[in-house]
Formats: sequence, structure tokens, C-alpha cells
Amino acid sequence: MASINKLERHQARMGYLFITPTMLLFAVFMVIPVVMALYLSFTNYDVLSTNDWVGLENYRRLIGDTLLWQTFVNVLFYAVVFVPFNILISLLLAMLLNKSKGGVKLFRTFYYLPTLTSAVAAATVWIWMLHPEYGLINGMLSYVGIAGPAWVSQTETAMISIILMTLWQSVGSNMIIYLAGLQGVPDYLYESARLDGASRFACFRYITWPQLRPTTFLVSILAIIGALQLFDQAFVLTQGGPANVTKTPVYLIYQQGFNQLQMGYASAQAFVLAMAILIFSLISMKLTKAEEPIV
Amino acid sequence: MRKGLMVTLVIVMLGALLAGCGGSNEGSQGSEGKDGKVQLTFWGDWGGEGQKQFETMVDAFNQSQDKIEVKYVLQQDMITKFLTAATSGGSPDVLFWDRWRTSLYAPKNVLRPIDEYMTRDGINAGDFYEESLKELTYNEQLYGLPLTVDARALFYNKKMFAEAGLEAPTNWDELEKAATALTKWNGNKLEVAGFSMADPGLFSMYLQQAGGQMLGEDGKTGFNSEQGKQVLKFWQRLLNDNKVYKVGFEEGLGEGNDAFVTGKVAMLYTGPWMMSTYNKYGKDLEYGIVPPPSGPKGDQGSVMGGFGLVIPQGSKHPEEAWEFIKWWTANKDNAMLWAKTSLNMPGFKPALEDDFFVADPLWKPFTETLEFAKTRPTHPGYSVMEENALIPSLELLQQNKQGIEGTLKKAQEQGDKLLADNAVVK
Repeated sequence: MASINKLERHQARMGYLFITPTMLLFAVFMVIPVVMALYLSFTNYDVLSTNDWVGLENYRRLIGDTLLWQTFVNVLFYAVVFVPFNILISLLLAMLLNKSKGGVKLFRTFYYLPTLTSAVAAATVWIWMLHPEYGLINGMLSYVGIAGPAWVSQTETAMISIILMTLWQSVGSNMIIYLAGLQGVPDYLYESARLDGASRFACFRYITWPQLRPTTFLVSILAIIGALQLFDQAFVLTQGGPANVTKTPVYLIYQQGFNQLQMGYASAQAFVLAMAILIFSLISMKLTKAEEPIV
Repeated sequence: MRKGLMVTLVIVMLGALLAGCGGSNEGSQGSEGKDGKVQLTFWGDWGGEGQKQFETMVDAFNQSQDKIEVKYVLQQDMITKFLTAATSGGSPDVLFWDRWRTSLYAPKNVLRPIDEYMTRDGINAGDFYEESLKELTYNEQLYGLPLTVDARALFYNKKMFAEAGLEAPTNWDELEKAATALTKWNGNKLEVAGFSMADPGLFSMYLQQAGGQMLGEDGKTGFNSEQGKQVLKFWQRLLNDNKVYKVGFEEGLGEGNDAFVTGKVAMLYTGPWMMSTYNKYGKDLEYGIVPPPSGPKGDQGSVMGGFGLVIPQGSKHPEEAWEFIKWWTANKDNAMLWAKTSLNMPGFKPALEDDFFVADPLWKPFTETLEFAKTRPTHPGYSVMEENALIPSLELLQQNKQGIEGTLKKAQEQGDKLLADNAVVK
């Protein structure tokens, strides 16, 4: 007995030792900053001169901060449109490119390319394409007799422009994730379904879709988190305008913290954002857990 | 027990790591050099051409005397860097400073007042624009000297004006007539905009021309007034009745396709910083500049901006830093060298009276505009108020989604709240 205990102890010690570097980095760059931010959200920290405990003052101010809540509504609208389209388009692309025909690899590369371009460079090109008078998109619309809007400058279409651009940029990488998921679906399921005379749609509905549930969960969670943290595309394309419709919480937090030096209040705002991400992740987890994949 | 040990170990290692982070900033602090010269560090966020221009000035200063050696350090993200430097050491000795930031940073005690140096060395405050000094002042203490000044004036396309037989406008009515005459529509498509209305942030400039105030004496917004309404009525006439512009018309055109360069915009408000772009890309562009047209009661208005040089509290050699600032900003020859190197308007008035500026028809309108131009109000929440409350509300008006009264009321309510939330913490 004693020797087994000793062995276990040795293994445990080694185990801790091996995970120490990772845990250390995790603690330094994740845990400590998060705890610090939580603490700062109860202070009037301004980086330079003050760091006093103000209790719930920052959180009281949050309630009346209409602009912050508007930015949450903005990203919520963004998420509601972006997440389903993101799943739909990347899944369709993945199913299209899941064949082993010649040239498929070329297309995979093409669809993945936008992911590799920098958001700022891509946004510059998109602004040009979306130009009301000389842009490609309104040019094409004018052939069919539609006078296109001033995409990025009008309140109705500004957020849609951002969604278009981020979709173009993100479906590539999600397509890769779906491709991996599709390759993991066992062939015998399709084989037996075909023997039973299942249609193509039935195969998708009862085999592919349920089998891909973990993949869909991953893709949608990443998309939701990405949506709540939307910043650079929105910043380059519209600078938060017009009329605040494309301002996002991250933009506001940055402005409050680094431009206005109200780090304490910015931390409180950031904490609300973190909570929102947590809640949406939990909801998404619940929804996906409801139906386990059949094996 | 085992757990306890591990936790202690982790904490110890963490401590070592953090200590390592803290100590690394010391090296950059200026000190006595080998040859007995005082080494100064000068931070700025101008790279490329701007960096070369700064280095020209720094070299000239280093050669002009043998006690101080200045080194320019480019900090892309200067303000964030300065935040860390001001609290943990490694602060520079001279900082290139966007003047409007003074009202936010001076109350936090990170900048050094220079009043005693000014009196000691007999620097005449009258040699600088009062407005530009006001922007560098907090609680009646001066925190730096203006290095550059700028203001927007009206640029107009000379060829288009000549073809239409028009003169450069001097007041709102003439501006409206000229803009209407020069605008060309092709069905639904705007081909030439008579006057650019791309930037609703210029509201403050129009408000001055109408004789109004952005902030009242009480530190609250003052634009929801008769003058504010006059400005918005003027905008509505231009946008809706005369259709001289279309929202989003200039969005994303970039330098080479700039709407003014390519003759798609006949007039616009902009500053001297655009002249190099126009000269570079506008081979066929002939433009003239006039001071901004005056409002209904003859008031003139433009917004003065620009940069200054300040000394952070953390500097170990404030005396030498002051010598450098004084040499650059308060000496006509050096201010002219700076002006000719960088094509910026120096903050030193005697330099602006030089023929270089006064005899040049492109510079003269700016020196005239600076005589009446006003800086932005010195309230630490002013820029957030403009960006998050006023401009969004004005954009709704420009897109015909909100009336004049509603626009001003909404901007006032939200603006007052932002001003209060971002006021100086006592």
C-alpha cells in the first residue's frame, strides 16, 4: 500500500510540475487581470492619480448609460443576423467542397483567403465597393434599375454593410471547421440510410446535421463571442456612425478607459460585457446539449 | 500540504515574473552622457515624413549648443505609452502634445507648469495666439507652448468658379448660391457636389459663424439656441432644398481619388494639412482659399487646432527640456525653419508675419482665419460629448430622420450627461 501511495504522490508531483508553466502563464495573463479588472470596477482608477474604492458607484452609473445599452442592442442585432448566416453559408460551402473532385482544393483556398487579409485592409476595399455613386455594388444594382443606398453612411444599411464584410471574412475559417466535422461523420450511417431508401435531404436532416451538432456549437459560440467583441471592422468601416448605430461595447470601453482615463468605470462596462458573453455561451450550451448526436 | 506547497511555489514564481516586468523601464531615462551633455528624450507619434521633420529640428538644436543632446523617439501609441511611463518611471523629458488633451491630463498632475520659466526668461505670451495658450492652460497655470496652429478655411475650385462666373463666397448666402449653381445631378446620381457637407463635426464652426457658443459658462452645452437652429436651417436648405450634397458621397475615396482633386466637389472646408495631397494628386486642379464665409449677422468662425510641446512631471531635466521647447517654439528663426521643413503653421506669431506666409495667396487666408478662430472648449468631456451625443444627432438630421428642434434637444440632453460624467474628478 505504502509504495503505491508513494508512486501516486510522485506522479501527482510530476503532474503539477508539468502543468505549472501553462498554469503560470494562464494565471499571469488571464486570472490576475480578470480579478484586477473586477476590483478596478469598484474604484475610480484613472491610471495616473486616483485609485479609491467607490463601492457600487460605477455600477449605478451603468444603469443610466443609455449609450452603452444602445451598443449592446447594436451587437445583438449584429449577432442575430450574423450567426445564422455564418452557419448557413459556411456549412453550405463545406458540403459543396467536401467532394474529392479535382480543383476542390483550389476553391477551398479561395474561400479561405479572405480570413487571411487584415480587417483594416479589407474594410478599405469594402468601403470603396460600397460607395453610393462609384461602388461596385450600387453599380450592379443600377443595371437592374435599383438606386442603391449610401451603404455605410445610412442608418438603415450601415450595420448590414458590416455584417456583409465580416461574413465574407469569417465563412472561410468556419468552412474549414465544418469540413473537418463532415469528414468525421462515419460513412456507414449514410450507407445504411441509403439502403433504407432515405432521400438526400433526409440524410442531411437525420445524419449530417445531428452529427455536426458539436461543430455547430463551436462555430456559433465563436461567432457569438466575436459578435459581442466586434470592434475593428466596425471602427474602420463606419467609425461607429452614423447616429451611433454601429458603435459597439468594446469601442465604448476603449474610449472610456484610454481616452477619458476612467479605467474604473470602463472596467465595470467590461465586466457587463463579460457577463453577457457568459450568459449567451451558457444559453448556447443548453440548446446544443438538448439533442446529443447519435452514433 | 502538497497543494499548499505548490501554491506557494506558484506565488513565488509569479512574484519573480511580475518584478521582472516592473523593472524594465528604467533604461530609457535620460541622464548625463559621456561628454557631460544632458541627454533628453523627446517623444512624438509622427512617423515617416513627420519623423524626418522632427529629426531635422532636433539636429539643429543639438548643433546650436553643447550642453544638451536631444533624441527623438517615435512612439506609435504615444498616449498609452505615456500612461505607463508616467506611473512607473521612464518618462520622457519632452512630449509632442495634442493641445486639447491638456484639460484631461493637467488635473492629474502629470504635466509640469511652465509659468515660472516664462517669467524668468521673459517670454512674451502675446507672441502666441491667446486661444492656443488657453488650450494649454488649466487652473490658470500654463503647461506648454504651441508648436503648430491650424484652422479650417474654404477651399474652392477656381476653374469651376470661373466657368460659372462666380466669385469666392464671403457669407452664407453667397455660399448657398455658389453651391447651388455648381451642383450637377444626373437623374438620381450626384455628379458634382457644390459644397462638401461630409463632416457634421464642423457644426461648432458654423455655430461660431452664427454667433453661438458650444458650451455655456455653466459648463453645460449651449448649442440648443437660436443660433444652433439657424445653423441647422442653413444645413437643411443646402441638403434638402438645394440638394448640393448627398450623404456618403465622399466616403472611402482615398487620397488619389479625393473628391476635390477629381472635381467632384467644388468647395469644402479643410485645413492646410490637405494642401500637400492636393498639390501631389491634383495636377489639373486649380484651387483658391478664402477665410470661412461669415454668418447671418456677420460673425466669423473657425476652429483652431494644433500641437504643443509639454514637459511631463516625470522628467528629470525640466530645465533643459524647457530650453529645447523655448528654442523651438519661441524663436522666429527656428520657428521658420520648422515651418519650411514641415509646412506647418508655427504657433509663434512673429514667424507667421514672415513673407513666407503673408505673401503667399494660399497661406494668407489661414493667417487671416487664425485671427478669429477659436479653440475647442477646455472641458475634459468635450470630445466625447461631440462624438457620442452631438454628431450622432446631427447625422439623423442630415439623413432627414429628425427635425431641427428634436436634433438639438436630444444632443443637449445626452451631451449634458456626458459632460457631467466626464468632468474633472475633484
